[in-house]
Amino acid sequence: MVEADTRILLDWDALEVGETFDTYEYLLTQEMIDTYRKGVMDPEASFPTISHKVDVKQYNAKYRDAGSVNARCAFYCYNPPIGGKTITVRAWIADKYLRRGKNYIVTEAVSVDEDGRLIDRVITHELKQPTEVGKKWGG
Amino acid sequence: MGRLVRSYEVGDELPPLVKEMTQEAINLFEGSAGQSGPSQFTDEETARETLGTEGTVASGRMSLSFAIELLRRHFGSDVFNHTGTVDLRFLRPVRPGDTITFSGTVTGVSREVNGSRVSVEIKAENQRGDTTGAGQGSAVVPNAYLPQDE
Repeated sequence: MVEADTRILLDWDALEVGETFDTYEYLLTQEMIDTYRKGVMDPEASFPTISHKVDVKQYNAKYRDAGSVNARCAFYCYNPPIGGKTITVRAWIADKYLRRGKNYIVTEAVSVDEDGRLIDRVITHELKQPTEVGKKWGG
Repeated sequence: MGRLVRSYEVGDELPPLVKEMTQEAINLFEGSAGQSGPSQFTDEETARETLGTEGTVASGRMSLSFAIELLRRHFGSDVFNHTGTVDLRFLRPVRPGDTITFSGTVTGVSREVNGSRVSVEIKAENQRGDTTGAGQGSAVVPNAYLPQDE
């Protein structure tokens, strides 16, 4: 049986800048790090946290929408995460804006490990009309 | 052991970084975070429904990872992994089969309390010469690594 989707349908106009999501925690395993490094073809890649998309994780857990496309991403490196450590993420809605009739949401997240080491900060601008990709760039 | 001196000047070009995009690499990237369900990155049908494209695309965060690698190689892990930043706009989709070349040019060097912030303009182009991404990055290089003032 398929579970009902109980998430809130996104009302972009009503979404409040500054809304902070529940803390998200995950265990970063060495296997995750190794797989990330293979995926990005870089054996020294130091921030496997990037593929976890933690800035939108709790947004996506709370809201449902038509999907999104990443339009811009800023990343700040503080300390490479260590395998086997639990990472705690605090994320919030940093901004929202309309550009050329399209809606964008900006999420921001800060990751800290179980020893209190600051890991990274990520700020992502997501276009909330993903079909624009197909319209603009075709197949 | 002698002091390692690094020098940065406006106009310096970073050695380019070339990435051959494959569906396998995209799947590994997505799978590394435990994402196993179909998505616009891993499944053609989902990509058609969500994006209106004929095939899958790579997450912009893969391009972000490549831009970070470009700068880390230039500044060194000891510097970039603790002070580095990248701000990248995704201008065109990157698809399996694309060859993406990341390039960078130093655009500024400014003094900060404990070093110099070196700023870099970043560009990513596909095999057709289309710009797929553009932005900026930086790192703060400690004074100990820089040539001493006379």
